Amino acid sequence: MAFFTWLQDTPFAHWVASDPSLLAYPTILTLHTVGMAIVVGTCVVMDLRLLGIGGDVPLSALSRAPRLVWTGFFINAATGLALFTTDAEHKATQKVFFVKLSLIFLALAVYARIRKRVFRGAMQPAASIPREVKALAVLSLILWTGATVAGRLMAYLL
Amino acid sequence: MSEIFRDQVGWLWPLCESLHFLGLSLLIGAAGFFDLRLLGFMKGVPLRSAKRFVPWATVGFAVNLLTGLIFFISQPQQYATNLAMWFKVLFLLVAGINAMLFETSFSDRLMALEPDAEMPMSAKVIGAVSLLAWFAVLYFGRMLPYLDPNPRSGV
Repeated sequence: MAFFTWLQDTPFAHWVASDPSLLAYPTILTLHTVGMAIVVGTCVVMDLRLLGIGGDVPLSALSRAPRLVWTGFFINAATGLALFTTDAEHKATQKVFFVKLSLIFLALAVYARIRKRVFRGAMQPAASIPREVKALAVLSLILWTGATVAGRLMAYLL
Repeated sequence: MSEIFRDQVGWLWPLCESLHFLGLSLLIGAAGFFDLRLLGFMKGVPLRSAKRFVPWATVGFAVNLLTGLIFFISQPQQYATNLAMWFKVLFLLVAGINAMLFETSFSDRLMALEPDAEMPMSAKVIGAVSLLAWFAVLYFGRMLPYLDPNPRSGV
């Protein structure tokens, strides 16, 4: 706990939390939303395609999706850490925050599993999507929805 | 109605915010996919196939229009006098007019292109304007409470 108290008291945390500049808290928070749109948006598009309800683009169209997903993820890891420092003592004990982190971790694990199953040569380009992959795509949609809702509820729940 | 939304239904605001965030992810993911194709990425993918994602962007937009209206009705004074809100509306119009222009003047010609064809400048401009406009909408939406000339709590 002492660590989080210290973290929250660093000049960086003070700058993020209370500098009047729009570049501090507001911009970091906005970048966190941009990162979310990139990660969740890309995964959702992939999931819809795998479920066959997002049209018929060749799966090869999604071959470069990981760049977007990891770019968004690193934006959000960085901005998320910065936001965490401003309220470290509280966040370190906030249940819904750990729910959110767990859901993100699970969603990324599912994403990695889908990539491995579909995009690394395991499947023929024209083959229909196996049931297991469709189930993973549904799971992915549920997990990202949960992570987004949990993130929003961090502003409301203790 | 404003008072009912704001004071009587405590869970309505967080619910609508959550839906608004999900809607924006869906909108930017689906529209962004098509925009990237217009910009010339994913060569070999027919534009027509890429466009199949666009109805999902419309779903995201509809969710956000509805939840956005609920925000506005609940706290009209927070929005009506806020310049960020009007910038957001401006970029919504830019995105809408851009999409309409695509449909009315460029769609037929671009759809007829071979999947491997180089995208013409018109397609790239439309794709870039759309992508930038949607991120501008997101920016002014998220920055809205901080750009408010009369800041209030609860952001």
